[in-house]
Amino acid sequence: MVVQWTPMRWPNAWTDPAALSLLQGTAIDYLLIGKGADLQAVRERALASGLRVADLDSPPSGISILKGEWPGVKMRRGGAAEINAGPTGVPWVDSNGWNIRLSQALNPETSVWVDAPPADDARLSAGSYPIAIADSAAHGGRWILSLDPALAKGLAGQRPEAVETWKRIAGAAGFFASHKDWPAFKPHALVGVISDFSGKNEFFSRELLNLLARAGQHYVILPKQHIGSGALFGLRAVIYPDSDAPADALRKQVHDFVQAGGLLIGAPQWGGPPGTPVQSTEGDRYSVRNLGKGRIALSYTDPDDPYLWAQDSVLLVSHRYDLVRFWNCGSASSYYAVSPDGKRAVVHLLFYANRGPDSASVRIAGRYREVKASTIDRPQMSRVDCELQKDAMEVHLPQVPQYVALELT
Amino acid sequence: MHCNRRQWLIHTGAAFTGAILARRALAAPTAPVSVARCKTYEPAQLLPVMDKMFDQLGGLARLVRNKTVAIKINLTGAPTYRVGYLPLEDTHYTHPNVIAAAVHLMGKAGARRIRVLESPWSTAAPVEEYILQANWEPRDILNAASNVEFENTNWLGKGKKYSRMVVPHGGLMFPAFDLNHSYEDCDVFVSIAKMKEHATAGITLSMKNCFGLTPCTIYGTGAGVDEPSLIPKGGRSLVHAGDRQPSKSAPPEKDPSTPREDTWRVPRTVVDLVSARPIHLAIVEGIKTMTGGEGPWINEELTGVAPGVIVAGTNPVTTDAVSMALMGFDPMADRGTPPFERCDSTLRLAEDVGLGTRDLQRIEVIGTPIAEARFDFAAIRQKRRSAPPRPMGIRG
Repeated sequence: MVVQWTPMRWPNAWTDPAALSLLQGTAIDYLLIGKGADLQAVRERALASGLRVADLDSPPSGISILKGEWPGVKMRRGGAAEINAGPTGVPWVDSNGWNIRLSQALNPETSVWVDAPPADDARLSAGSYPIAIADSAAHGGRWILSLDPALAKGLAGQRPEAVETWKRIAGAAGFFASHKDWPAFKPHALVGVISDFSGKNEFFSRELLNLLARAGQHYVILPKQHIGSGALFGLRAVIYPDSDAPADALRKQVHDFVQAGGLLIGAPQWGGPPGTPVQSTEGDRYSVRNLGKGRIALSYTDPDDPYLWAQDSVLLVSHRYDLVRFWNCGSASSYYAVSPDGKRAVVHLLFYANRGPDSASVRIAGRYREVKASTIDRPQMSRVDCELQKDAMEVHLPQVPQYVALELT
Repeated sequence: MHCNRRQWLIHTGAAFTGAILARRALAAPTAPVSVARCKTYEPAQLLPVMDKMFDQLGGLARLVRNKTVAIKINLTGAPTYRVGYLPLEDTHYTHPNVIAAAVHLMGKAGARRIRVLESPWSTAAPVEEYILQANWEPRDILNAASNVEFENTNWLGKGKKYSRMVVPHGGLMFPAFDLNHSYEDCDVFVSIAKMKEHATAGITLSMKNCFGLTPCTIYGTGAGVDEPSLIPKGGRSLVHAGDRQPSKSAPPEKDPSTPREDTWRVPRTVVDLVSARPIHLAIVEGIKTMTGGEGPWINEELTGVAPGVIVAGTNPVTTDAVSMALMGFDPMADRGTPPFERCDSTLRLAEDVGLGTRDLQRIEVIGTPIAEARFDFAAIRQKRRSAPPRPMGIRG
């Protein structure tokens, strides 16, 4: 899949084609313009100036449009801007990363655009847009740039603060457009999630992907209708959350994986597994069996809580194998991807609070010699303080914005 | 002086109580405290130092041979927060090498079973998984002796039921606690603390470390109302603030009309806990630590420091008193005097109930004299607090 375009939803209020001058020198090259007659002049001028034009209802071929969420820490609506907490008091974060990756896994030949415009009553800071752009682009998709009405109005009136916000938006779009090789990088994962992601399995399997990312678990998506023979290579575990039994071939492939040292986390529907039972402890939610060099952990009950499954998977696999560890990072997330030749990697760091952290540390598993950091504001790679550890490196970041790319060689 | 009957009762009552406490203070037991300089956590240096300290206290074998030992370590706060870029063990977690050295020496001294205990922040996950997130290797501790295990005591854990631990003197706040079974199923109880200041309790040493005995399933933010919750959620706000009572299955506070102030409640709860679960060996580790508070979340200027000192004793009050002196504080200090500017002194309360003396005149210090090992937290505190507040960045 190749990300070709940087799309933008044209504000309906911008009926004057002169507003197209805002796009000069930016990476924005695909406009989604409403069907209204008052926008016809804009449409014509855009086409004349070499931009591509479509409307949201008929996206170009090769593009999947996802209905997404505005990414970031979830805030309560109305009254004081309180943070919404998750099940353990951790702030809830909306991200479109899992959904983009699922769409790519199900439709490998298409590019993904995320349609998540700000709410009409949204109160957005200047930093909200770059994180919206980075959240999609880091995971290989593109957020359809969508301006809130106040910003659109401010830009039309050339208000300085609106122009400043626009520069940040254009800078973020340009940053990711300049890294055209990144979408070809493959996810570096500990866990493979096998599901058909549809029908009665749709809600649980998809929410599981969302919550695995929030739990810091690095996963690869394996649609069960086309799992290649080497798909499980390099993984420590596979999760099979579906409520129907696997096909014989898949069962054998996974049992072979377990025999070789892997872990299967599954539902009772996996069926009576081979192997030797392991004594369980009070409070466990899984029956565990040893099989060859690996283990099979089947839940006692049908999958009903994807949050618990995501948390359990982290413990069953063990933090010992964490690919990324964070310190002083708040509501952070990471996506670790490796170049097709395996010689380079990029770890996208996303900090969903309104500001990036200071004195943050990130430990990245893997044997690399060098790390360089870049941000949207400082796209030129710079070396960062780094401490080499056994099979890992720990990076010490200065005060950083909400998105940082660490390139490892 | 004219006074009504109520005022007379208050005055005479206070005088009577004062006289009783003064007598108790004089009668409070004492025990020697060993102090040693140790500049690094290198096992080659640390192990002989700790071995010698335990010998100075009469030898570990006398205490642990053929016994089940429970060691409460101090891993306060989530493992995902550091002071700057410093490893957690260099600032606010008890260092794994100190834990491993204690475990090793106890195994060598004939301990039958050693349980390393902690109530990690807001999780029922195994302690091993928690410390991996701090970049520790659990095997370094598990393999330091035979029959070593971790247990997360922030919930029911491996037990079938919670253990009811009664406060012998009746309790300043709580008459008894419901704790993880590990605190009852042991013959010897050890507290290994970090030498630190504490925002609420002034200092945190071997006694304050025991605040973490309380499982958050009963005493935490997400505790069940009637019964303990299945898993712990959040911190111990109900003990700090008194905004609610523990789960009804556990004994409630004795007097819900007492102050709802953490600076009043926390020191008293700590004294009740160390009364209910007596400490047989107290170790305060100050080889490397921090000034400014107990963890990275404290809104003061926080600095990693290396006092290079370690303290051990068989009485937690005498051990904490010597530790305070090593920090440059007066262990006889009371509310209003550093480090207890805003809070009650845990040491004074412990002395008042007869747990041990804090009077240095009555405590034998073995090994390095206090004057030679002192690291002046008090002076740093005074300087820090007289400076204008620094702007704080955002950690996440």
